[in-house]
Amino acid sequence: MNKENLELNVAIFFCQQLDPDQDSNRRVIEKELGPGIKFFPLPCSGRIEPLHFLHAFESGADLVYLITCPVKSCRYQQGNVRAGKRIAFAQNLIREIGLDPERLILINIDPPLPKRIDLLTRELLEGAPVKGHSLLSRL
Amino acid sequence: MPVKYHIHTAPVPNRFPTVIRSGVIAWEEGCLKCPKCVKRECVYGVYDKRGLDSRLMSDSLDSLCKDCFRCVQNCPNRLIHKALNPDYKNLGDHYWTPEIISKLWFQAETGRIPVSGAGYGGPFSGSGFDAMWTDMSEIVRPTRDGILGREYISTQVDLGRKHQALEFDTLGNLLSPPYPSVEIPIPIIFDILPWSPPRDRINHTLLRAAKKINTFSIITQEDWHPSLQRYLNHIMLYLTGDPEGFDKEILKKLRLIEIPDGLKVLEIQKWLKGINPEAVIAVRIPLNPQAKDRALELTQSGLEILHFMADEFGRDQGEAPLFIKDRIKEVHLHLVKNGFRDQITLLAGGGVAMAEDLAKLIICGADAVTVDIPLLVALECRVCRRCAEGIPCPVNIAQIYPPRGQARIRNLIAGWYNQLLEVMGAMGIREARRLRGEMGRAMFFEDLEREIFLPLHKRN
Repeated sequence: MNKENLELNVAIFFCQQLDPDQDSNRRVIEKELGPGIKFFPLPCSGRIEPLHFLHAFESGADLVYLITCPVKSCRYQQGNVRAGKRIAFAQNLIREIGLDPERLILINIDPPLPKRIDLLTRELLEGAPVKGHSLLSRL
Repeated sequence: MPVKYHIHTAPVPNRFPTVIRSGVIAWEEGCLKCPKCVKRECVYGVYDKRGLDSRLMSDSLDSLCKDCFRCVQNCPNRLIHKALNPDYKNLGDHYWTPEIISKLWFQAETGRIPVSGAGYGGPFSGSGFDAMWTDMSEIVRPTRDGILGREYISTQVDLGRKHQALEFDTLGNLLSPPYPSVEIPIPIIFDILPWSPPRDRINHTLLRAAKKINTFSIITQEDWHPSLQRYLNHIMLYLTGDPEGFDKEILKKLRLIEIPDGLKVLEIQKWLKGINPEAVIAVRIPLNPQAKDRALELTQSGLEILHFMADEFGRDQGEAPLFIKDRIKEVHLHLVKNGFRDQITLLAGGGVAMAEDLAKLIICGADAVTVDIPLLVALECRVCRRCAEGIPCPVNIAQIYPPRGQARIRNLIAGWYNQLLEVMGAMGIREARRLRGEMGRAMFFEDLEREIFLPLHKRN
């Protein structure tokens, strides 16, 4: 994992349908990264609101991910599509307040990305853009 | 008439939103802007009070919704859905189920008995404590008045050794000196927590609660701190290390002391009695298939309290683990058979999750019960055991404000106390001491199964 990214505060919102054993799988990463990483499972990624992202940044997150089911695989048919729209809306808000919108990242789980939340998180942090701490977390 | 024991309660809100079974998925896109929106018509005002807890990112929809499904059914564009809340699914484990945890939270918050208005929809038997039913034949008799007024149902129990019979000399003088004894008004003692975040504040919280309801909390020798001296009357000190290294002045003031079972147990008991003859000494013994023989041996040796501990799922340490109620029943009946049961106090703990478990364990032969994990749940624990793995606690229990935690534990125990009264009232029993070992007033699934199905097999 990228050393600089290990020091960042990361918030990961994800749909519970992705990994049925997410609670036990994510513990390895939680133990490794301590309070620097926070996972927030959702009943469906379509449940997300822009407010969630804003709160995450306000609480000191440097990178925020939203992980949704593959396209056309949402259990509620349109949850991941709507999640995409919300993230675009939130990115505009973030840009307006002077934060880097690229710190908010949408991930659609399509092959070859793994569905196990721990493996997926490792992969995401490995390839995460090196951004350093966000303006808000430095305050 | 003696003053009735009563635990005063007051609601204590959660620090973190509670987790309920289902989550609402309400989409805004595609809204028809109906003049009478189903969200505004929610009878519980769930959508009006909507908020987001940024610590857990939990939407208030997931803690306030009562699952009436009106909004789901009535939205004309089908924009509202319900889904299983992932956080609810992840509460606890196979034994400490999400249902048990959410009921414990309710009791800790309100101090009331959890009642479901729609009746009981579950199975009528299961494993563990669910394989046992108590006799409710007196439920319509005036004995129930004890719960609310005229007759007093006592839940007081005595901890300590008792004489089998009193002896007098020819002049009528008592020859058997009384043994030291401790009375507690409710047959519950707070046990050592099997896991928890750092315990400084948690121990203060438990001791405050023990003081409030007038019982004891077991504190280990390692957890001892001089700041706990003000709770000495409510501390049952568990001496895990070298007892001679512990402050003798403190030992002299304690009313209950616990020691681990081992080869030197009688020696240590004698040594402690030499320092504080008025203290009642308990021996903590892991529950295993040899428990009944060990119980008899220690009782014959003159010990006062035997504290049998199962694991956190209520299982003993045998190769094919037996559930705590069955093993305690075995120990109790073995002591009865050998004529020693009334001389000793039996404490039992491990796997006690609900108020009915308390009553059932007493029926199986325990004089009082020790409780652990439910106390943590009262402090909003999710039973995720992250603290045991070295992962930060999601609800930061280590930082609990002791007066607040005390009030929540008090509420929980008040709820359990009221349920114990209900069970005893319905059984027509007015004394917790009489409830002990009353197996004739209970039915056990295995016995019923044997009685009913064994004759059928005999045909062949």
